[in-house]
Amino acid sequence: MLRIEELSVSYGSVRALTDVDLDVRGDGVLHGVIGPNGAGKSTLLDAICGRRRPTAGTVRYCGEDITRRSISWRRRQGMARSFQRTSIFEDLTVHEQLDLVAQHLGDDRLDDVIEVMDLGSHLDQKAGRIAYGVQRRVDVALALIGRPRLLLMDEPGAGLSATETLRLFEHVRDLVRERAIAAVVVEHDVDAVFACCSMVTVLDLGRHLATGAPEAIRADHRVIAAYLGTAA
Amino acid sequence: MTGDLHGTATGTLGGRLSRMSLAIVALSIGLGAGAFVPTCLASDFVLRLGSEGLLLGMLALSVAFLMNQAGLVALGAASIYGGAGYLFAIGMSEWGLTPAAALCTGFLIIVAYVIVLGALIVRTNPLAFMMLTLAAGEMISHAVLLEGLRDYTGGADGLLVQLKGSILGIDVADLADPARFWSMAWIVAVLAGLAFWGIARSRLGAVLRAVRANEERMRFSGFNTFVPRLIGYVLVNVVAAIAGFLHVLNAGFVSPESLGLSVSTNALVAALMGGIVGSLGPILGGLIFAFAQDEFGARGLTQLLTGVAIVVFIVVFPRGVVGGLSSALGLFGWRREAS
Repeated sequence: MLRIEELSVSYGSVRALTDVDLDVRGDGVLHGVIGPNGAGKSTLLDAICGRRRPTAGTVRYCGEDITRRSISWRRRQGMARSFQRTSIFEDLTVHEQLDLVAQHLGDDRLDDVIEVMDLGSHLDQKAGRIAYGVQRRVDVALALIGRPRLLLMDEPGAGLSATETLRLFEHVRDLVRERAIAAVVVEHDVDAVFACCSMVTVLDLGRHLATGAPEAIRADHRVIAAYLGTAA
Repeated sequence: MTGDLHGTATGTLGGRLSRMSLAIVALSIGLGAGAFVPTCLASDFVLRLGSEGLLLGMLALSVAFLMNQAGLVALGAASIYGGAGYLFAIGMSEWGLTPAAALCTGFLIIVAYVIVLGALIVRTNPLAFMMLTLAAGEMISHAVLLEGLRDYTGGADGLLVQLKGSILGIDVADLADPARFWSMAWIVAVLAGLAFWGIARSRLGAVLRAVRANEERMRFSGFNTFVPRLIGYVLVNVVAAIAGFLHVLNAGFVSPESLGLSVSTNALVAALMGGIVGSLGPILGGLIFAFAQDEFGARGLTQLLTGVAIVVFIVVFPRGVVGGLSSALGLFGWRREAS
């Protein structure tokens, strides 16, 4: 579904990503991306979704080179994203914003999204006035509208407790399996990633370090040395 | 149970219909009364001043709509207002067109200009947008003074227009009469206000507000954020252009002052005084501004008293007169309920 080939991204003279390869298959795969601060995780997500243009390399989505496609085009083709810093419409009610996006994307199953993200009791509240945890769910709900085929999530657990993060991951894992879609999740909470993801990629200093099943990654001595440490 | 539900649904629909009928009746009475009652009660001088206030109110309406819906402050409203006036005047005086043909020609040229300008500037951030509208406005106001265009624009002297012929069956010469012009300006201003009220409640309004609130999320939700902003920019400038056409029909004259920055800033101040939310505030702000300017001018202290008035208005009514009054009414209602 998603193939990243020799992707490099620079911020001026600083190289945030160098020749990174990533292959994400569809059909219910929850693919975690972990790594220390400054590893390039969010930059990778930005390059995949079109927020940042790569300096080299290609992004292929469903076999097509989409490296130069716009963000809105990617979204209409089923590539959706949620954000590390919650990105919602604070002046609109939860229902108004979900409905606006659902109408635009022609999704008549908005109730499913509301149910999956457990937002039924918050629909008439202004999004700026609800608890942060609920705002995170609205952010994810906005990404789920339109039946996306690939979901990109940047630290969905940011600002949530370990329990809430794990619950959110389990939600996403079940959703991904149920709808046979794929999701790439960047996350600091490695316990949640190892518990729910079927594949894990580790980045370090902008380079690809390892990709594999959670057990293999946990045992990889390079990953232990660079990121997990002996405690993991 | 079913009967109850049916009753509720019918009642709601009936309620909506009756509310809508009531609104249409009230609007028709307001439109008619506003157009004709002042012409019986007020002097020609007051009607002229009121008409100027309505034209400024229409400009303020266009500025306020863009501020409120798209979060963009335009400082070039006068270039469209005055530019439309010049095109209309040139069409009639220089090209010998009928008023209707001159109006259509001027309208098409202005719309084409606004589309091109808008395509260049609506992508920018709000500060850059404001500076670019200012720059484009200043460019136009200096262009009419160019020696090479003097035969068309009249240079610093402006352009006198021979008002003859008719538009939609109305003899344009009759519009020199203050009472008739007031009626015309009132009807056009109310219709423009209603149009913006409707647009604000339409899907376009919702998309504009969502883009203003979080443009990036809109793009990540699959929206093209450029086209709605461009449409909004064109619509507000259509209203500014209509105000410019009316100005020429009333004055029979167009001058470089109508393109000046002071007209744009007056429109902005009128919008802030009246309140930028809704259509009533900017039009009311235009009327207040026009009458206040006349009063201040009579004392020979126009700029000083205008400055003091702006500060007082913005401190006392941070959301404009209409916003302040609606808050006060809300407070009064709450107190009544509480007691």
